[in-house]
Amino acid sequence: MKSTITTVIAAADNAARFPSASDLESVRGSMERAAARMEAADKLAANYDAVAQEAVDAVYATNPNGNLGRQPRACAVEGKDKCKRDFVHYLRLINYALVTGGTGPLDEMAINGAKEVYGALSIDTATYVYGLNKLRNRGCAPRDMSSQALSEYNAALDYVANSLG
Amino acid sequence: MLDAFSRAAVAADASGSFIGGDKLSALKAFVADGNKRLDAVKSISTSASCIVTDSVAGMICENTGLTAPGGNCYTNRRMAACLRDGEIVLRYVSYALLAGDASVLQDRCLNGLKETYAALGVPTGSAARAVAIMKACAVAHITGTNKRFGDTANNNLLDQGTSKDPAGCQSLASEASGYFDTVVSAIS
Repeated sequence: MKSTITTVIAAADNAARFPSASDLESVRGSMERAAARMEAADKLAANYDAVAQEAVDAVYATNPNGNLGRQPRACAVEGKDKCKRDFVHYLRLINYALVTGGTGPLDEMAINGAKEVYGALSIDTATYVYGLNKLRNRGCAPRDMSSQALSEYNAALDYVANSLG
Repeated sequence: MLDAFSRAAVAADASGSFIGGDKLSALKAFVADGNKRLDAVKSISTSASCIVTDSVAGMICENTGLTAPGGNCYTNRRMAACLRDGEIVLRYVSYALLAGDASVLQDRCLNGLKETYAALGVPTGSAARAVAIMKACAVAHITGTNKRFGDTANNNLLDQGTSKDPAGCQSLASEASGYFDTVVSAIS
């Protein structure tokens, strides 16, 4: 799975060389940023339920019937539960991406094939984008986590939102 | 290929859980000791040719039949192949040590190596012995104990690095030993 270290190793292996000084330097750079990433991952792991709920509430406040691409749902509760499940799924993969320091988990477990799946199920991805943007704009630096952690977290949210757009 | 971080992600994904608390503390410790790890990798990679040559030479010294006619290191071509293989093994061990996970070593080096050696008629006992010497050599470099007897100057790489705690490199040395042991058990 792609992360900073595995990317460096794959490049070194392609050239059949031992890890060079610049390889080690780039791993070190990633480790220096790791503290912020892990802080964000930790906060997210502890509060993901509330965060996902917030996204769902935001989505349903704007679109009372849930996904725009669907008929109004007879059972709004079921739709909400599924919406929340999906947000929790994205947050979990964002948690992994923050831990690994690369987009590998998101690419492999969510983004590859997402367009096809949502297309087949006629789910409007704009709904997710709306919820993710809400989370993106809601984060507040000293209150929720340190500013560096927040920028790592926001970058991950942006990455997902862009992939759905 | 996985590293310590993506290994944690794969493990957490199997149960659909978030990575937090205890699991995250283990990775935080990995990051906190990151400089030691980089120094350990550096100490292996900068002395790679020395480690490889010593281990192959040691293997042959113990069994001089290897370079005699009929031996498996007889002719420069085969000796060169032996040195090359030693370097490849050490290179993948250095990758594994950098990643903190043996998957790169397993997937890209050891998978099928035993069968290849059997097909080519490489004596795995000798190969395993070379790897064992390589292990001792690499551990000495990692812990900074690769000094000549009576040598008081701190001229090893570790002391030039950011970590000033040779004893703290013990866990990395044993981790590296584990990777060499994996190699030995994979080919024998």
